[in-house]
Amino acid sequence: MSTLAAFQRSIPALPWAPIAVMVTVLVVLAVAGWEVRCRAWGYAPGLDDTRDLWVEQRREVAPDDTVIIGTSRGLFGLDLDALEQGLGRRPKQLCLVGSCVYPILQNLADDQSFHGTVLCDVVPSLLMVPFMAPPYHNSEKALERLRTQSPSQHWSHLLSQPLERTFACLQQEDLTLAALLGGLPIPNREHAQMGPALPPHFAIIDRDRRARMRDRVLTDQTLRDRLKQGWIPLLTPPPQPHWIPDAAFGAFMHNMVEERFAAMSAAVEAIRKRGGRVVFLRMPSTAELRVVEDRFSPRAAVWDRLLRDAQAPGIYADDHFELSRFDLPEWSHLSAADSVTFTRALVPYLQAVLGSAPH
Amino acid sequence: MLFNSLTFMVFFVVVLGLYRLIPGWGARKNLLLVASYVFYGSWNPPFALLLLLSTVVDWNVAERMDAQTDQAKRRWWLLLSLMMNLSLLGFFKYGDFLFANTNALLKACGIDYQAPHMGILLPVGISFYTFHTLSYTIDVYRRELKAVASLRDFALFVSFFPQLVAGPIVRARDFLPQLVQAPVPVAGRLGWGLFLMTLGLFQKMVIADTLLAPVADTVYGHAFPLHALDAWAGTVAFAMQILCDFGGYTLCAIGADLCFGFHILDNFRFPYAAIGFSDFWRRWHISLSSWLRDYLYIPLGGNRGGSLRTCANIMVVMLLGGLWHGAAWTFVVWGGLHGLFLLIERGVRALVGGSAWAATRWAAVLAWAATFTGVCITWVFFRAASFADAMKNLASMAGVFGAEGDQVLGTRELLQVGLVSAMIIGIHARLRNSSIETEVARWPSWLVTLTWAAMAAAILLARGDGNAFIYFQF
Repeated sequence: MSTLAAFQRSIPALPWAPIAVMVTVLVVLAVAGWEVRCRAWGYAPGLDDTRDLWVEQRREVAPDDTVIIGTSRGLFGLDLDALEQGLGRRPKQLCLVGSCVYPILQNLADDQSFHGTVLCDVVPSLLMVPFMAPPYHNSEKALERLRTQSPSQHWSHLLSQPLERTFACLQQEDLTLAALLGGLPIPNREHAQMGPALPPHFAIIDRDRRARMRDRVLTDQTLRDRLKQGWIPLLTPPPQPHWIPDAAFGAFMHNMVEERFAAMSAAVEAIRKRGGRVVFLRMPSTAELRVVEDRFSPRAAVWDRLLRDAQAPGIYADDHFELSRFDLPEWSHLSAADSVTFTRALVPYLQAVLGSAPH
Repeated sequence: MLFNSLTFMVFFVVVLGLYRLIPGWGARKNLLLVASYVFYGSWNPPFALLLLLSTVVDWNVAERMDAQTDQAKRRWWLLLSLMMNLSLLGFFKYGDFLFANTNALLKACGIDYQAPHMGILLPVGISFYTFHTLSYTIDVYRRELKAVASLRDFALFVSFFPQLVAGPIVRARDFLPQLVQAPVPVAGRLGWGLFLMTLGLFQKMVIADTLLAPVADTVYGHAFPLHALDAWAGTVAFAMQILCDFGGYTLCAIGADLCFGFHILDNFRFPYAAIGFSDFWRRWHISLSSWLRDYLYIPLGGNRGGSLRTCANIMVVMLLGGLWHGAAWTFVVWGGLHGLFLLIERGVRALVGGSAWAATRWAAVLAWAATFTGVCITWVFFRAASFADAMKNLASMAGVFGAEGDQVLGTRELLQVGLVSAMIIGIHARLRNSSIETEVARWPSWLVTLTWAAMAAAILLARGDGNAFIYFQF
């Protein structure tokens, strides 16, 4: 049996105080050098779009608030100031990058106190993903954090914000060790089933999660090209697993799609029953990316049916010149300046459908 | 509050600063007690009441037991402590597991009854602090320890934050004597403590979370059969991840204890250099294996009742040890396999232990390879979400699916696992009969400085999103 009498941890006989001072100096120098390097690469201090930031916004949703849910297109493309001016109240931004919107809509539908307005940005190929797909997980993880966030996680979130506003090198998407290792150009095995690479960091976000595309995207052709080529594999359905027979896979996908339509309609109805409203938005996308989206998720099969089944109004950007005249620098998102123009142009359409949306 | 969080950094600096500023030993212990409850409450404040209940009941029970001379009455007091602690553990940790198995059993008997799913939240660290406090009441019952007069000291022993939620499982006899008087200042203790905390965080945040966890998660999250290389890489990655995750936590706990002047025992002793399973369990989660030995295996009779009885005792201890880790049959199988391997090792030693060949270097290498392979196979059950997943991964590792198996890892990930694993095994082999303290004491100051600074810089670069330590769920 262990006894303390026989045990005292030994301390290596080294000059620990001078060592600790030297370590502090070296770490400070290393951080300063890394910060200078990151800024030279074009990074600037700014908040990370973490799940805790999302949870903070979700907790601030009042029962009669206007809430934006959806993907990065809603996050970057809808300007909160312009919506506040147009609708008379500042919406809460709950869009999640690369996510399926259904779990978030369901969360609002399950919130018995909520009877506000939901602006639901729909990217059809992200809406119709199975529950085991990464876009669905992205939404589930945010909701999991909402349910389980501990006081210490909340305090860490608050403590990290001043640091993120000060140091560019704390940018989480590109500058962590994991992201840097992930960017190493090492060829893979011929049959390796690697998921598509995530696009590089290209936006900044505020405390209330208003995101803006960085101006660098407009001037840096290389970055723009990387982004463009990143979107196509991300919005292309993965190949059918060869372990599943065609018929079984077809049946699984058919059932999943039917269940998703039914669940979306039920969620919309639940919100509507309490006096709330849901408006679907189809944000613009362009060029080859749009061709890919329309090939795998044709308008009639997803958008039109969603509106029909849910009996909810929708605004399809392509239907209106004022909403579709923008040159999207990387095919998928509006630039910071265009997002303001777009949102101002969107407001009259929103007012029109909200005025007539069934309660 | 996780060690790898900003909140903990601020908490630790504030508590350590106040601890060193406050002059009185009693006041410093009060500070540590309050800090420990704040630390624990920062997960889920109501669960701090559960910790308090367990503490107050066991302190009272031990006092009464110690004063009692009637052995039968003393046994009743011990029973009360065991019942309360094991009931709490049973309810919170195994409640839903029990209901789910009851449902399955009734269904198998053709009875259509659904026991409710309670959705019970598991209080973090309950398995660890239950074993902390049980070691106290059992030792007092055995008259190996006097009941402590101070409730404050006992509460601090049970709740002291460095080892509260994921061990090591500290014995009362080891810790309570350190609370009697203020620690005598020792040169370099704070610096060495901070070095160990940095090393622990480096293992957790850089090696476990950044380099290994994504590989294990990809492999064990894949729904379909895998290529053998990927299946092995995922399993070896998990073997190294859980070592660096749990071992990293332990080093942080030992380091934090040292910063406050306390000494706790090692929990790991380079386990992947183990030659044989009995050697592995002398090196892996030592505080649990020694707890189970002293409070379960020996009371069951240990090896005193003949070979069959010894084998049965080993299996009982390992099965319960498996169940201690989690409320799932996969953990029981993990423990059972370790028990089986221990029995096989006994048999092999009985057969060839005395031969000259068994003492050669080649025999040691062969035994090491067999041990490491066996340990990796047991990790499959520990990591897999279900038996079906475990069997799929074992079949994949055996190459059953050949070239048809899915290749889900990139070359970089395979290289990462290979290099990190080789590095860890090399370090374990080099230090298997030594210790970190002995090794670092041999280093020149400049090498210690550079290593420490490099680890700290890597931690800052890795950051991560505050992943919980794996053993928090146990």
